[in-house]
Amino acid sequence: MIYYNHDREVITDFISYEPRSCFIMTQLGLPLPNIVEKIRADLSTELSKRKIVELDANSYIKGKDFLNKIWKQVLAVPMGIAIVSKEMKVTTISNIFYEIGVLNALGKETIVIKSSDYDIPSDFIRTEYIEYDDDFSDKINKFLDQIFELADHYELMGESLEANPLLAIDYFKRAYLINGNSEYFMKTKVISDGKDFDMQTKHCINNFLSTEKRLKMRSKK
Amino acid sequence: MSQKKGMGQTKNPRTGKYVKIDRDKGKIVSTKKSEGPYKNVPVIRKKKD
Repeated sequence: MIYYNHDREVITDFISYEPRSCFIMTQLGLPLPNIVEKIRADLSTELSKRKIVELDANSYIKGKDFLNKIWKQVLAVPMGIAIVSKEMKVTTISNIFYEIGVLNALGKETIVIKSSDYDIPSDFIRTEYIEYDDDFSDKINKFLDQIFELADHYELMGESLEANPLLAIDYFKRAYLINGNSEYFMKTKVISDGKDFDMQTKHCINNFLSTEKRLKMRSKK
Repeated sequence: MSQKKGMGQTKNPRTGKYVKIDRDKGKIVSTKKSEGPYKNVPVIRKKKD
């Protein structure tokens, strides 16, 4: 559970985990190309059906270093979805592919939604993408179905790796981020109670466990 | 004394690949490169609630 930030320092900050969320990577500044606006709207419709919250680089304005903000946001989510089109500036697309790299390196699921006229860079041919067309709803739901199946897989991995509490807890956390099932907090408590972990590990586990209380408080507001 | 669970495998639904796990050591042993499950390694099923 040691993560590094863009300055290659270990991240020891508190991470505000956001279950059932998705980090959207696309052009945010106006004016948006029509196709990007259309894809984003259709994507929002499908995500909201599953109660998945959209987050993007503009979601939290805290005045801190922008890259630092993105890295912490990436750690908080289970997956990222990128939207690219030919009409977007090369600089914007470069930022998006950088962010996809960050997500992949941090073990997050990603998918690229591209307009039909956009060619994926050759280094990203192994990155999963879907082309926006009339079957978009089916395609994106197939991806989301797989992600939710992955939560079950992570749960099974966590249960199978209980002899290695740190690894097991990390799998439970990943499962939790996908489906938001609070049972994973109890599973984590059962595994971690009475164990003599080092300070960094305790911090990571407590950070995850505190999510339950933080989200309860937020829902009361 | 805790019960020995031994080796097991489970399929990652995203990659379609089977992951072999040593449940006694809490270690991911390997991920199968080719299609299908490992031979003679039991597939781990979800615990019933």
